[in-house]
Amino acid sequence: MPNQNGSVYGLTILSPILNDEKATPSHDLQIRRYLATLPTGENSPFAQAPGTHLARLVVMDDVIYVGMPACEEHLKSKYLIFESNIDCADGNLERYLRGLAETVPEQVDAIWSHCVGYPGLGNIKAFVDYMKACQMETTFFFAAVNDRSLPQSLQALQTQKAVAEFIAMHQGMEPAKLQAEFVAFAARLNAEPIPKPGSMSSVMGSRREIKTGGHNE
Amino acid sequence: MSKLNETDIQGFVLRGYNLPFARFLFLHFVDAGCARTLIGQLLPHITTGQRWDGGKPQSTLNIAFTFAGLSKLELPKATLISFPVEFQQGMKDRAAILGDCGANAPERWDAVWLGKQVHMWLAIHAQSAEGIEARHRKVAALLEQTRGAVLLDAQDAASEQIDGKQTTREHFGYTDGFGNPDYLGVDRKSQPGQGKLMPDGTWAPLATGELLLGYADEAGELQVAPVPHILAGNGTFMVYRKLHQNLASFRTFLEANAPLYTGGKEKLKAKFIGRWSDGTPLELAPDAPDQSIAHDPSRSTNFTYGTDAEGTRCPLGAHMRRVHPRDAFGFNGRLINRRRITRRGLPYGRFAAEGEQISDAEDRGVIFMALNASISRQFEFVQQQWIEYGNDAHSGNDKDILAGNHGGQGKFVVQGDRSLSNPPFICSNLPNFVELRGGDYFFLPSITALEMLAMQLVDPR
Amino acid sequence: MSNIHGKVYAMNAITPMKPWKTWVLRLIFFLLGHIKPLQNDLINLSFIEFARWVIIPRHRFPQLGNGQPKEELKYDYLLFFSNFNGTWNQYIDAFSAVLAKGLNLVWRWSEKFPGSVPVTLFKEYIARVQFDTDYYYTAYPHATANDLKAAHIVQTSFDSLSQRAASLSPDQFAEAYLTFKLQVQGNLGETGEAPVVF
Repeated sequence: MPNQNGSVYGLTILSPILNDEKATPSHDLQIRRYLATLPTGENSPFAQAPGTHLARLVVMDDVIYVGMPACEEHLKSKYLIFESNIDCADGNLERYLRGLAETVPEQVDAIWSHCVGYPGLGNIKAFVDYMKACQMETTFFFAAVNDRSLPQSLQALQTQKAVAEFIAMHQGMEPAKLQAEFVAFAARLNAEPIPKPGSMSSVMGSRREIKTGGHNE
Repeated sequence: MSKLNETDIQGFVLRGYNLPFARFLFLHFVDAGCARTLIGQLLPHITTGQRWDGGKPQSTLNIAFTFAGLSKLELPKATLISFPVEFQQGMKDRAAILGDCGANAPERWDAVWLGKQVHMWLAIHAQSAEGIEARHRKVAALLEQTRGAVLLDAQDAASEQIDGKQTTREHFGYTDGFGNPDYLGVDRKSQPGQGKLMPDGTWAPLATGELLLGYADEAGELQVAPVPHILAGNGTFMVYRKLHQNLASFRTFLEANAPLYTGGKEKLKAKFIGRWSDGTPLELAPDAPDQSIAHDPSRSTNFTYGTDAEGTRCPLGAHMRRVHPRDAFGFNGRLINRRRITRRGLPYGRFAAEGEQISDAEDRGVIFMALNASISRQFEFVQQQWIEYGNDAHSGNDKDILAGNHGGQGKFVVQGDRSLSNPPFICSNLPNFVELRGGDYFFLPSITALEMLAMQLVDPR
Repeated sequence: MSNIHGKVYAMNAITPMKPWKTWVLRLIFFLLGHIKPLQNDLINLSFIEFARWVIIPRHRFPQLGNGQPKEELKYDYLLFFSNFNGTWNQYIDAFSAVLAKGLNLVWRWSEKFPGSVPVTLFKEYIARVQFDTDYYYTAYPHATANDLKAAHIVQTSFDSLSQRAASLSPDQFAEAYLTFKLQVQGNLGETGEAPVVF
């Protein structure tokens, strides 16, 4: 099943965008504008709804003309592409879509209300059917890590940092003391909540200043 | 490939001169016409790549230009903008890309690098201090006579002399001078480990175009170079960086960490770089230095990391492994063939014996120069991705322990095994052992190109 | 709007294909999906987090009625979405250097593809067929594919040790702790900000 790779699922949805000449700005521009200010960190709708490793939204204006002797042609509609890499071990997409509809309805409405045939979120089944109607089959899906869920990944990153710090600070310690300290450390670490998705902040304490290239926060 | 015309290429590009003394002059053009005359007057004295089959000369002379210098020489605009973006901007404007912030920020550089006043680099290498002075006097006379440029600054450098003999040691005590790449047509003989790795495990010279403009490169094409071709051909780009070394911090750090590292201080020091202090590579001699390897060119750099994937002999983040990964990324080393640089340079400042009372403020370090056909693809990439960052070395954000801009943070992991003499170990709270005190990007033209510059014969296209 | 978030880059590309060539590509992808060793190179180029190709046959653009006109196209389209670590140049340089044959197998069916070697023409083509991301989210912006794989190794080793830690004698623990360190020692890189893009 090409959409599936281990426990991760490659969701590709192409939603035709409304083409209303009376809309100012046009619907595709309204989507763009909204997306430009939508948070991409902890407050992202994809951080709040469960199951998203990585996701993107792209307004595809048209196909691209690669030059002669290829023919020039154009799409009649613009499409909103939703490419998402999600936890879905059993291939049941409905749970993920439901998660979006129930956790972040405001954002889902704000984006997809500009698309053809969007039924709103009053009837969740209608929403799921609508998204599935726009789903394209992923022909080939590659995942570097395909057997760990999102919470497992976030926890592992937290553990990695904590373990590095513990090892560095406990060099040359005699065995009984080391053991006691490790047991206490393990108890603390296992009690730590799983870090929030989408966050740049480190674990067990310090916050970092975000300075990455051009994201929305 | 066609045979190189060594009389057209500046000697500094093709050869490490191995002369013990150097002086680098930084010059500013006042008037374009006078500057052109100066270049014309210097031309007969410039050392080319012709071989010294009759013995080394007393001294050598080479020149290179910043973008500001080429602009001042009134090259046509269309020619100027065909130079690579990074060269046009100059090293100072690329500080964010290179990680030159904090202790390495341009605000802390030597005054000569303020503004864009450095136009020309003039390098004198010599067998003796007298040789340096003799050349310098001749150059000064030409400057006076042509009024072509004013001298902004002079930087001396010299190798450490032990018992009257020239060594290749640098201030931290490491033996330097290994690992420059072999290029097709440039070197008479190839040293195993210096070129590129072939599928059958042998080493072959790198494509000439990785060093010299106008030749095929490792990507199988003539790379994009400034136009006209006759200006760029047989030339190369040089990165000049004055790296101050905090010797006191380095020695203190080793002293502080050595007691916890059961392999001993010398071994810990070797793990930082990947070689024992005498140059023996850890991959070939993990337990103790071995002069017979270090002094044998057929062995001293002839190894791969394939059998040391865990980093137990040479740590994953060791300096040498970071900057020349060989086969560590798999694919028979093909991913690194376009990331090699030719390193030239000499230490500067007074050498201090072990145990001597010293301070970080004392003026000592290394003048580092990298030669490559593409500054952004080669030097900048290595500096940004392999020195100031560690993802390719499977070390996350960890920086190179020797050259990294640590600011007191970060760590270096020494992978080990079960033996007491090779334990796993983590060094933390890393100080800056090296600080950048200035530099820039230069274009080292061919002799033909210099003639064109001198005669103002450079066309836009 | 950005193609970049933390340490990961979102590349989108669309290329036209003559419909008869689409079937060849489908077969190639089928083989790639079922013959695992063919994927080894992709796995060993350890800077891709997720990547996918989506073939859109010319009659299969979603058509939902409601007055939406039907597309009338000559070409099928191949969409490519990649999530990779590093810079655009680094990514393409690496693929061109070691995966040229694989890339050619996938893209030679697209119109005007110049081949993945040499790299300059290949980069020009990609620049032409690439379009930009409006919104990019990653749950772990501070981590690369390498960091994630390493983290999972650390978690597994940690879980194993922490389960037994309290029940061992101190000397047994010291031995187990050394084993633990040896298992995780190549996987402790710090996560954080990405280098400035250039």
